[in-house]
Amino acid sequence: MARKAVKSKSKSRRSRSKSAARQKPGLFRRLFRLLMLLAGLAIGIGVPWTVWLDIQVRDEFEGRIWDVPSRVYARPLSLYSGKPVSKRTLLLELKASGYREVTDASAPGSYSVNGNQFDINRRAFIFEDGSKPATRFRLQLRSGIIGSLGGVSGSEDPGLVRLDAAEIASIYPLHDEDRTLVALKDAPELLVTGLQAVEDRQFKHHHGVAFRSIARAFVANIKAGKAVQGGSTLTQQLVKNYFLSSERTLMRKANEAIMAVLLEWHYDKAQILEAYVNEVYLGQQGKHAIHGFGRASEFYFDRSLQDLEPQQIALLVGLVRGASLYNPRRNPQRALQRRDQVLEIFETTGLLTENEVKTAKSRPLGVTSKPRSGGSRYPAFLDLVRRQLKRDYQTSDLSSEGLKIFTTLAPSEQEYAQQAVSKGLEDLKQRGLPAELQSAMVLADVASGEVRALVGDRVAGRNGFNRALDARRQIGSVIKPLVYLLALEHVDDYNLITRVKDEPISLRQPDGKLWSPENYDHKSHGELPLMDALVHSYNQATVQVGLKVGVANLIRKIQQLGIVVEVPAVPSTILGAVELTPIEVAQMYQSLAAGGYSVPLRSVTAVLTPQGDLLSRYPLRFMPLENREAIALLNFALTRVVEEGTARALHGLLGSKTIIAGKTGTTNERRDSWFVGYTRDRVAVSWVGLDDNRPAGVTGSNAAMRVWAGLFRSLPIEGLDLRMPDGANFVWVDKQQQALTDPSCPGAEQIPFIEGSEPQESTKCLKNQSRKNKESLWRKWFGRKD
Amino acid sequence: MDEKIRLLVILIPLLLAACAGQPPVKVEGDEVDTRVRTPASEDSAGVQVYSLQNPAVKELTAQAVVAERAGELDKASGYLERAMRIEPRDPQLLQQMAEIKLQKSDYQQALNFAERSYDIGPRVGEICSRNWRTISVAREHLDDASGANDAEKRASRCMNTRPKRY
Repeated sequence: MARKAVKSKSKSRRSRSKSAARQKPGLFRRLFRLLMLLAGLAIGIGVPWTVWLDIQVRDEFEGRIWDVPSRVYARPLSLYSGKPVSKRTLLLELKASGYREVTDASAPGSYSVNGNQFDINRRAFIFEDGSKPATRFRLQLRSGIIGSLGGVSGSEDPGLVRLDAAEIASIYPLHDEDRTLVALKDAPELLVTGLQAVEDRQFKHHHGVAFRSIARAFVANIKAGKAVQGGSTLTQQLVKNYFLSSERTLMRKANEAIMAVLLEWHYDKAQILEAYVNEVYLGQQGKHAIHGFGRASEFYFDRSLQDLEPQQIALLVGLVRGASLYNPRRNPQRALQRRDQVLEIFETTGLLTENEVKTAKSRPLGVTSKPRSGGSRYPAFLDLVRRQLKRDYQTSDLSSEGLKIFTTLAPSEQEYAQQAVSKGLEDLKQRGLPAELQSAMVLADVASGEVRALVGDRVAGRNGFNRALDARRQIGSVIKPLVYLLALEHVDDYNLITRVKDEPISLRQPDGKLWSPENYDHKSHGELPLMDALVHSYNQATVQVGLKVGVANLIRKIQQLGIVVEVPAVPSTILGAVELTPIEVAQMYQSLAAGGYSVPLRSVTAVLTPQGDLLSRYPLRFMPLENREAIALLNFALTRVVEEGTARALHGLLGSKTIIAGKTGTTNERRDSWFVGYTRDRVAVSWVGLDDNRPAGVTGSNAAMRVWAGLFRSLPIEGLDLRMPDGANFVWVDKQQQALTDPSCPGAEQIPFIEGSEPQESTKCLKNQSRKNKESLWRKWFGRKD
Repeated sequence: MDEKIRLLVILIPLLLAACAGQPPVKVEGDEVDTRVRTPASEDSAGVQVYSLQNPAVKELTAQAVVAERAGELDKASGYLERAMRIEPRDPQLLQQMAEIKLQKSDYQQALNFAERSYDIGPRVGEICSRNWRTISVAREHLDDASGANDAEKRASRCMNTRPKRY
């Protein structure tokens, strides 16, 4: 209303002075001067002012509306008959992809479930290799696998169907802001029309400022004796949101009005409405303001805007008037009243029928008790995505708007990993370990290096210190396999049964101090086969072997396995006095798990432009390591760690006897607990310790291995394939005697050897067996009976 | 021995007869056919040894073949990568990828994929021959003439070596 006053005043003044000039020519000169002065003032101040406001508001408008974030997707779940997937996993994946359970899956994005039979209506989706239409199919789970997959009619067999990828976040790859933008065409009709009905009925007709509304508000306010109604148009509200400030001065109001008119001059109604839908302030989460209906929908209902019901839309529309006043979490009663008030407006304006409003009013608020933290459920994984995008893509590519980023995350596996950490640490607390223990976990696909899950904190969704990527901790015994790998590469000196000495050793460190490592059980175990020293993680034997193969070579080996950080060249490095992050450890072990076919761990597979063109792809590339036979031997030894060594409790924890390779790690004074383990298809690292690096009472097997097992209990496990590559073979030997033997002899074991490194000696038992065999052959050939 | 790979032997003498007459001349852009696939098929004397494939993998493989024939090599790699997510240890997929890499003149990766295919594959029969022929061609392009020669010899042994067992 103040705006109106200012405008009409200047108008009337101008017309009055014009008519005065005509009526009284004697005063013409003086009046003309006055007029010129006023015109000069208007031009000199008003024009630049308006131009300045124009620049401001256009900058703001264009800077925001076109700043469409990139959408980040999880890997799409492939479904085909024979795929191992549990009902729990399938339900988790459907939930992550935003599917709703219904009785009849007739609409895309819904599914029905009957026992173990799922009827799924897959949405149309643009995958990284092209768009696919919506499709409805049925699948039957049978004892942990998809038993059958078919069209709903039962006649067509889709063979392979991908669920549309779960949208895990929308990000600005180059900033840290987190928003969920919606295009006007994707916004529910009821929201678009309802907003106008409640906030600005003249929206389609006015030019930014609605004088009639202002007048109406003015009268209402006068009557009430206080401000009870606002006359701001949606356009004015949008401007107000751009320049949020608490001051309510006439000047500000005037500026707002001018800018609103300017916006309407430059842009059409649809663009303005779209900006409004994404910009309006709808709540507060700590320091972060909740802007836009897309984000608000997630914040209050944990749903996407498209999936909201009428009463939920009404609640959000009602919040426009006062997000704090009608905060449904803090003031549910007031929010409910406001919602119903909005529903009534929907009814009187004909947007909803009487019956629809009646049903909607009978519904509860439906707000989740806790808002989703940080906008994304997967802050740790997104952190990795951001870093890898910045590392591997051009900044100019990333600054384009509305990219589609396809990642490797498996939502169900992420859920299992987070639960394993959260519940695992709770369980460790029950067992008397510190309550403030922290943990990190990395789960990757062995062959492709694709990261399926990443946990950086014991609390799900907490966006803070990402331990999986940033906690640099001593790795302890987790380094030992590399020492033994180096030894096994020296075919002339070592095989898995070479005798090594586990006895006290003292070394002068570079700082002059004497270093005398002890074993975990404070005993020395004398001479024993090489693999047993690894299986039981004996420190003294490992140091003996490490000194022979050389600390410098050990460091080179760490680097060959993809680690770029500086590693100190001191003897204690042999026992893992090296600080690495969990993801670096995972990278090292991926190479081993894949039999030496190293691939860089990756979280992004493709980036698409909004038009669906492939901007860039990360193709799968192997970097084979040399001496892959030695790696195969090492993998065999690491399965023995689980069978009979430091990780022998693992099978019990998993309730399965599958062949798994693993290594525990504990650091000085039990500060860090590590476990690295791999099956045929999955490699995972878990770490447990205290953030301030105090002794935590943890060991590899009492903490990290339990957390690891917590995850793998939920995953389908395929046993490790121990087939040897060319150049290595399994041989029957007697480990203690270091001699070839016969399978029937006592102490006989099948152990792999690199060709040429097999024992030369034979056991007495084998010699006897051979003699017997020769005799029996002789008899066979010459027809004599035994 | 890998239990998962059930070896299947299919005789296709008719196909063999059709291929037998082709001269092993290097044709520009067609190296994969003339130097890998055709001779491997000849080596194997029509005996194809391959694992039974999961139907989803089969479908993706077929799409990759179509894309490859149309010269859409990136698209073909995309299908193969998807298939590998389902079956990361299928030697045929890895070999097919190696042949795509060869056509893309990415010789180092062609070599790597073929080696991996051999390592986890049956190490006999036609696929073995394709593995080593790919390695040979790749090494040749990487200026490793003697290595290429060794690989060529190794390919011809694919029909008389038996897979190692333990």
